[in-house]
Amino acid sequence: MKKMDNTLTVKDLKTWFPIKSGIIQRTIGYVRAVDGVSFNVQKGETFGLVGESGSGKTTAARSILRLIEPTGGDVIFDNVNVTKARKSELLKLRHKMQIIFQDPYASLDPRQTVNSMLTEAMRVHGIVSNKVDAHSRARELMGVVGLSEEHLYRFPHEFSGGQRQRIAIARALAVNPEFIVLDEPTSFLDVSVQAQILNLLKELQTKLSLTYLFITHNLAVVHHMSNRVGVMYLGILVEVADKNEIYNEPLHPYTYHLMAAIPVPDPAVQKKEVLLPGDVPSPINVPSGCRFHTRCPYMTEKCVQEVPPLFERTKGHLTACHYEIDFQKGVRLNEIEYGSSAVKG
Amino acid sequence: MKQNNLILEVKDLRLDFNTYRGAVKALNGVNFKLYKHEVLGLVGESGCGKSVTALTIINLLPENAEVKGGEILFKEEDLLKKSKEQIRTMRAEEFATVFQDPMTFLNPVLNIGTQLEESFMLEKKALKAAVVAQRSQGKANINYSEFLAMKGKEDTILTNETKVSGKEIKKMAQNLCADVLRMVKLPDPERILRQYPFELSGGMRQRCMIAMALARRPSLFIADEITTALDVTIQAQILHLMRELRDTIDASTLMITHDLAVAAEIANRIAVMYAGNVVELTETREIFRRPLHPYTQLLMKAIPNVAKPVEKLESIPGTVPDLINPPTGCRFHPRCPYVMPICPTAFPKTTQPFKEHEVACYLYPQG
Amino acid sequence: MTNKETRTSELQATIADIKYTLHLLRQNPLVVIGSGIAIFFILLALVANLIVNPAVANQFNFSRSYLWNNPIISWGPLARTGGPPAQPLGTDGYGRDLLQMMILAIPLDLRTAFIIVAGAALFGIILGAIASYAGGIIDEAVLRVTDIFFAFPSLVLALVFAALFGRTLDTLTLAVLFVWWPPYVRLIRGQVLAEKEKTYVEALRAMGAGHLRILFRHILPNSIYPLIVQITLDIGGVILTFSALMFLGFSPTPAIPELGNLASDGITHVFDAPWLILFPGLTIVLISLAFNLVGDGLRDVLDPRLRR
Repeated sequence: MKKMDNTLTVKDLKTWFPIKSGIIQRTIGYVRAVDGVSFNVQKGETFGLVGESGSGKTTAARSILRLIEPTGGDVIFDNVNVTKARKSELLKLRHKMQIIFQDPYASLDPRQTVNSMLTEAMRVHGIVSNKVDAHSRARELMGVVGLSEEHLYRFPHEFSGGQRQRIAIARALAVNPEFIVLDEPTSFLDVSVQAQILNLLKELQTKLSLTYLFITHNLAVVHHMSNRVGVMYLGILVEVADKNEIYNEPLHPYTYHLMAAIPVPDPAVQKKEVLLPGDVPSPINVPSGCRFHTRCPYMTEKCVQEVPPLFERTKGHLTACHYEIDFQKGVRLNEIEYGSSAVKG
Repeated sequence: MKQNNLILEVKDLRLDFNTYRGAVKALNGVNFKLYKHEVLGLVGESGCGKSVTALTIINLLPENAEVKGGEILFKEEDLLKKSKEQIRTMRAEEFATVFQDPMTFLNPVLNIGTQLEESFMLEKKALKAAVVAQRSQGKANINYSEFLAMKGKEDTILTNETKVSGKEIKKMAQNLCADVLRMVKLPDPERILRQYPFELSGGMRQRCMIAMALARRPSLFIADEITTALDVTIQAQILHLMRELRDTIDASTLMITHDLAVAAEIANRIAVMYAGNVVELTETREIFRRPLHPYTQLLMKAIPNVAKPVEKLESIPGTVPDLINPPTGCRFHPRCPYVMPICPTAFPKTTQPFKEHEVACYLYPQG
Repeated sequence: MTNKETRTSELQATIADIKYTLHLLRQNPLVVIGSGIAIFFILLALVANLIVNPAVANQFNFSRSYLWNNPIISWGPLARTGGPPAQPLGTDGYGRDLLQMMILAIPLDLRTAFIIVAGAALFGIILGAIASYAGGIIDEAVLRVTDIFFAFPSLVLALVFAALFGRTLDTLTLAVLFVWWPPYVRLIRGQVLAEKEKTYVEALRAMGAGHLRILFRHILPNSIYPLIVQITLDIGGVILTFSALMFLGFSPTPAIPELGNLASDGITHVFDAPWLILFPGLTIVLISLAFNLVGDGLRDVLDPRLRR
C-alpha cells in the first residue's frame, strides 16, 4: 500500500469535547468522542465506517473535514495535511472533499431554490465564470442525479426525502469533488428509495472516480456499498477488514455481536441468539484497558489492565483484542503475541 | 374454528385528512384480522397508512381526520360507532400503545416510578382486588403474572364489605411497578423507579414504555416503530423481550414497522401495506418463501441482504404516490412491472390464491 | 429556461407562500378587523394632506377655542357651542377644528412610528445577528450593552436624550429609537443561535461558504418570521410611547398636530372640553390595537410548526 495510492490517511485522530462547570467554567473532564482513530482510504474505494450511537463515527467524519476541529492527530488528504492547514488553504481543499448529510429535510436551506443552491456552490469555488455557464451546469447536474430541469426552480419542501438527497448529491458534485463523506445518507429514507440512492451513488463513483467514506449503522447497507469496513466502538476502531471478512470471520467480540444482532429478513435462517448485555458506557468515563471489557463475555484481567492495540492479525485484517476467540463454540482461545511493535494498518 | 379467536377485524376502513391542498386519501379500504395471542406485523414504507390505521383504532387522530367508511370490530363491537368517552375508557382498559421515541412520550419531570404507578392507578378496582387476593392468600406480594391472571375476575374477588385503604392500594401499585420492570428485564428495578427519563438510555426508556403498556393488561398492544430509533444491538434486546412477552402475556400485538427484517423476527403473520391498502397478508415464513404481490417482491429485492450480495439493488421505479390525487384502481399500478389494462379501473378484491395467504392483485384469479 | 423565467418561477413560489399566509390570516376574525383598521389608517395617512390643508394647523382663532360645535350631537350643558362652520369633534385650545388636526396628526404619528421601528429593527437585528453568530467575547459585550439599555425605563432615557439634544421632532424620534432597539437584539439572537446549529448551515460550511454569506444570505432570511411579528406589534407600541412623550409636554412646538400633543392640551380642560382627551386618546388606542391584532395574528400564522 504505497502512500501515493491513499487519497485519505487518518493518523491517531482525536476529538475531545471539554466539559466545563462552575462560574469560571473550569474544565472538569472531557467527552472523548474520537479517541485515537487511524485508517487509510485508497483512491476509488469505499471505506465503510460502522458503529452504534456513541461510537464517534459521526464526529470522526466531521473532524476529518474539519467541520469540528479535532484536538489531536493528523488527516492527510492528497498529500496535504488537512488538520494543520490554514483557513485559506482549507477553502481550496473544501471543493475536493464534500459531505452528504443524514437528514435530507434539514440539510437544505428551506428558503433557497435548487438552482440557487447549485449556482452558489459553483460561485463560491469559482467553478464557472458567468451565469449562463452556471445555469447549464446546473441543468446537467440535475440530469446526473436523476431529476429534471423544472426541479431547479422549486423549494426543498416541495420534494420528497429521496429527491432531497439527490439534490444534496448534486450540490456536492457541483464543485467537482474527489472525496465524499456520506454520513448515513439513507437512514431516513424508505427502503425502495434507499435502493435508488445507493445505486446512484455507486454509479457516480464509477463514472466520476470518486472515493467514499460511508458512515452508517446499517450493516447490510455498508456491506453492499463498501470495499473495506471499520468498526468503531466508544471512540476507537476495534476492527478493520475487507467487507466479507468482517461479516464471515469477525475477530472482535463486538463485531461478532453486531453482526449477530442484525435482523435477517428471512425467517428460514436460524440465527443463534447472542445478546450483548448492558448499554454502551459513557465517553466521559471510558473503561480502562480494553473499552469493551465491561460488556465482553470473554474478558479477563488482562483486558481490564492493558489497552489492546489495533493489530494486523492476517493480511489487511486488523483488530484490537488480546485474544483469539472461537465464536461458534463461545470459547476464548490463545492470547495474541504482539511482537516488537503493534502495526497500525 | 379460528373465528372465535378473532380479537380485531378491520373491514374496508377508509380515512381522509382534510388539508389546505385538498383531501389526503390516506386509507383506501384497509382489511385485516388480528387473532388472540398473535403478533401481526404491519409493514410498509412512509405514507402507506400503517400508523394511521393504528391511530384510527384507538381514535387518536388529528382534527382534520375524517373516517369515510368501514368498520373496526374489536371483540365484535364496532369501535367507529362508539363515543369519544367510550373509546377513552377502552384506551385505559383494553389498548396499550408504545410509540417510537421514548423520550418524547415519557414525562421528563416525573420519575419512572410516578409514571408507572399512574398507569396502575387508572384501574383502582383491579388494585383493590389484588389487595384482597393477597390478603386471602396470605402472601407477601402479588406478582405481575398473578395480577394479569386476575383480569376480568375482579367482581368475583371483591364483595361489598371488602375494605381496602388508599394506602394499601398505593402500596400494591408500587410493588407491581417493581415487578413489571422485572418482567421487561430491567436490572435493579427499585433504583430505576426513582430515576428520571433523562437518566436512562434509549433502550431502557423503551422498556419502561413497554412496562407502562403492560400495566394496563391490554388485550390489544400496539407497537408503533418501537425499535426504529434504537441501535442494532439494543433493538435485538427489545425484540428478544417482545418475543418472550408474546408467549407470556395475554394480548395480541400489532407490530408496526417499515423494516421487514424486524417484522420477520417477531411477527406470526405479516401484512404489507402500500398507499392506504393492505396488499398482501400471510404467515411470516410464507411471505418470504412466496411473496405474491409485485410490491412485496420488489420490496424484498430492494433490501440489501448480506447473505446474497448483489452489484446493483433492485429499486422500485417511480415514487410514492401523491395521496391527494392517488392513482385510480390499484394504487401501485403506475409502478408495477406487471401492470394490465384492468388495474386502473378498480381496486382488486382480496383473494386467497393459497391457503391463509391473502393478496389484492389482478394477477391472481379474482374468483 | 431563461433568467427571466427563473425569476418568474421563483416569484410564483413566493407568491404562493404569501397566498397561503393570507388564507390562514383570513380565518381569524380579530386579525381581519385589526388589519382593516390598520389599512384604513395607513390610507388615511397617505391622503391626509389632500383632505385637509396643512396650513390650517397654524391658523389660530382664539375666539373659537374649546368649543363643541357639532350640530347633530350635543355634548350637554357644560360644553359651549359656537356658530358655523361646524366642527364635528369640537375645537382645541387654538380654536382649530379637532377633526382636521387629528387627520393631520395621523401621517405624522404613523411616519414617525415607522421610522423608529424600522431604524430600531435594522440596528438591533444587524448588531444582534453579528454578535450571536460570532459568539464569544463579541456576543458577551453586545449582550451586556443591551442589558444596560434594558435596565432603563424607556421614557426616562428618552427624556434624558431630549434634554441633552434639544427638542425637535428629529431628536425626539431618535430618543425613542435609542431605547427601542434592544429587544431586537434579543429576538434575533435566539433565532440565529438556533439556526446556526442546523444541518444546512453545516452543509454550507462544508461547501466552503464564508461567514458573511452564511449569516446574511441564509440565516437571516430564515429567522425573519418572528421579527415580522415584533415589528408589527412595535408599531402599535411606539405610537403609544411617542404620543405619551408628547402628552407629557415634550413636543417641539406646542401647536404641532400630533395625537399625544392634542390630548395633552385637554388635561386642564377635562370637565369643560373632554373631547380633547377623548378623541385623540381613542385614536391612539385604536391604531395601537389594530397593529397589535395584526401582529398577534401573524405570530400564530407564521409559526413554522403550524404551517402546512
